[in-house]
Amino acid sequence: MSEIEGSPGTSMHGVTGREPVLAFSVASPMVHMDHTAKFDLPVDSEHKATVFKLFSLANPHMRTFHLSWLSFFTTFISTFAAAPLVPIIRDNLDLTKSDIGNAGVASVSGSIFSRLVMGAVCDLLGPRYGCAFLIMMSAPTVFCMSFVSDASGYIAVRFMIGFSLATFVSCQYWMSTMFNSKIIGLVNGTAAGWGNMGGGATQLLMPVLFEIIKKAGATPFTAWRIAFFIPGWLNVIMGILVLTLGQDLPDGNLGALQKKGDVAKDKFGKVLLNAVTNYRTWIFVLLYGYSMGVELTIDNVIAEYFYDRFDLKLHLAGIVAACFGMANLLARPFGGFTSDFMAKRFGMRGRLWNLWLLQTAGGACCLCLGLVNSLPLAIAFMMLFSIGAQAACGATFGIIPFISRRSLGIISGMTGAGGNFGSGLTQLIFFANASFSTEKGLSYMGIMIMLCTLPVTLVHFPQWGSMFLPASTDIVKGSEESYYVAEWTEEEKQKGMHQASLRFAENSRSERGGKVASAPTPPTNTPNHV
Amino acid sequence: MEVPAGFLIVSLLLSCFVASSYGVYFSSLNATLSVTATPTQGQVLKAGEDQITVTWGFNQTYPVGTDSSYKTIKVKLCYAPISQKDRKWRKTVDLLKKDKTCPHKIVARPYAASNNSFTWTVERDIPSATYFVRAFAFNAQDEQVAYGQTTNAHKSTNLFEVQAITGRHTSLDIASICFSAFSVVSLAGFFYMEKRKGKASK
Repeated sequence: MSEIEGSPGTSMHGVTGREPVLAFSVASPMVHMDHTAKFDLPVDSEHKATVFKLFSLANPHMRTFHLSWLSFFTTFISTFAAAPLVPIIRDNLDLTKSDIGNAGVASVSGSIFSRLVMGAVCDLLGPRYGCAFLIMMSAPTVFCMSFVSDASGYIAVRFMIGFSLATFVSCQYWMSTMFNSKIIGLVNGTAAGWGNMGGGATQLLMPVLFEIIKKAGATPFTAWRIAFFIPGWLNVIMGILVLTLGQDLPDGNLGALQKKGDVAKDKFGKVLLNAVTNYRTWIFVLLYGYSMGVELTIDNVIAEYFYDRFDLKLHLAGIVAACFGMANLLARPFGGFTSDFMAKRFGMRGRLWNLWLLQTAGGACCLCLGLVNSLPLAIAFMMLFSIGAQAACGATFGIIPFISRRSLGIISGMTGAGGNFGSGLTQLIFFANASFSTEKGLSYMGIMIMLCTLPVTLVHFPQWGSMFLPASTDIVKGSEESYYVAEWTEEEKQKGMHQASLRFAENSRSERGGKVASAPTPPTNTPNHV
Repeated sequence: MEVPAGFLIVSLLLSCFVASSYGVYFSSLNATLSVTATPTQGQVLKAGEDQITVTWGFNQTYPVGTDSSYKTIKVKLCYAPISQKDRKWRKTVDLLKKDKTCPHKIVARPYAASNNSFTWTVERDIPSATYFVRAFAFNAQDEQVAYGQTTNAHKSTNLFEVQAITGRHTSLDIASICFSAFSVVSLAGFFYMEKRKGKASK
């Protein structure tokens, strides 16, 4: 094996929601198991777990999983904690609609950059410190809400809290040091989905905290500030748990990591160039902005919408809004599942159709959400929208590993950033404007989702086809090998750097669908560099 | 004197009509109440400290008997147009049950034609904004049948401001600083200790 699997920084792949119920364990003969190691779970030769036991807290693998997704969950709580309390905050700080909208944009913009930097931080300090560093340093920003007295302070604090969403990267990174690459898809998808649920949980948590604090005697304008202490404490507690209970690698901590650390066999510049010159990357950056992006946008605006339009009490509006985010528990893995399901019969074309259908259906439901006047219908369309958008997120990462083998890490990272960018953009266009109402904003956003999902029809793989065009019949051009090996230059091929791509190409033949040889459900083999 | 009689018939008819329609529209109401409040034009009141004294009564220039259906009076604090700008959640809508102009209740009293007065301390959850005072008269079915306000029809005169509490407290600020410091220091502490342990074991 010429590559070291799961070397630090390789984790960004496997950010899939795929294989949720199918691949609970690795039974492949290609994985070299280490039966002498004394871990609670069976491990491979690198001591990475080959089995995913959800309800175990066994050290280190499952414990890492739970610490990891919980930290990501906590940052979602902190980032979106203000959203359900906006009806109170807007009166306290005398905010206008643009102020509220701009704060929403700010809350998701910071992590565009922090997610890109986080990979390097994890390389330097290890995922344990990367995660703890981020959540413990963002705890002060959450506590800062008690100082805020006007719109600019509010926007600034929400911007700073938003940086903590980069725990997504440390979460996925850490998973890849602990779990074998054959099940990393399921593990990372579950962790990502459950972390995203924080956006829903906070809509429930914050209004309840607010009511309790108010009942205890505080006035509303003080009660919401006190309520922010809870997400702040959660950040600190999770940080301490991560530092005390977590470890970077199955065998130990930072020191060992640094010995393995410099495996950067590939040049970053080349990997980046390969990513940005592939047009499919950009299509998915756009698409993810309209699945994950709109999910984050809705996390920011939906509680206020139900409070204002349907005159719900604050905590009821919070409950309704929470349902949106909590659907992630099942919706995101569901999208991955349907992607795999369609791929079995129709291959990559099935995956593309699946993504288009889910995301467009989500957009149609968003359009309807803004149009209906009755509360039960609004809730129904909101839930259908949430399933469509979140399943589309899962389905997106069912396709991303196939865009490029060499640049998978960067493409995953760019797509993730595209999600945040899409969120900032939709909030800016549709919800920061005083010129049209929130319900019109929702409808227009639904239309924009449907329009911006159309580019998926342009994604064409010569070896598998696209939504409307079949695969190329040319023997050379229509082979998986030629697609993946084309990412390497002649000199690089002579050095044998493309060997992993060749193996990946062979395994990816299952994307032809139909009665193709039973290759294991598409592996997320790690390239040796992010 | 046929005008008052005719007016009486029309207003009675209107009130029936109003009672049978789906909701009450503000434009259907007459300003038969005269309302005055102590704040003068441009005065700034502090929430939680200053007081407003509201007096209201039936405007005698209207025919006698117009107020026969009035059962209760609700006096409210309402946003002036300038405070509604860019804030759709305070929008004025003609259909009263959807109207968000007057969300803050000052007092509710059984109706009496004159000698009504109430002194109200501006509550601590009133936001900073420009306001006027409006009183609604409700009939036995709890629907609005008349109103009166301290400003003119365009809501441009006799407006006063409230300066809200900040909601900030020194104790909160101090707690916030302490917890933040704890977070940063414990992170640094862990880091330092582990680096030292790592060096010692090498």
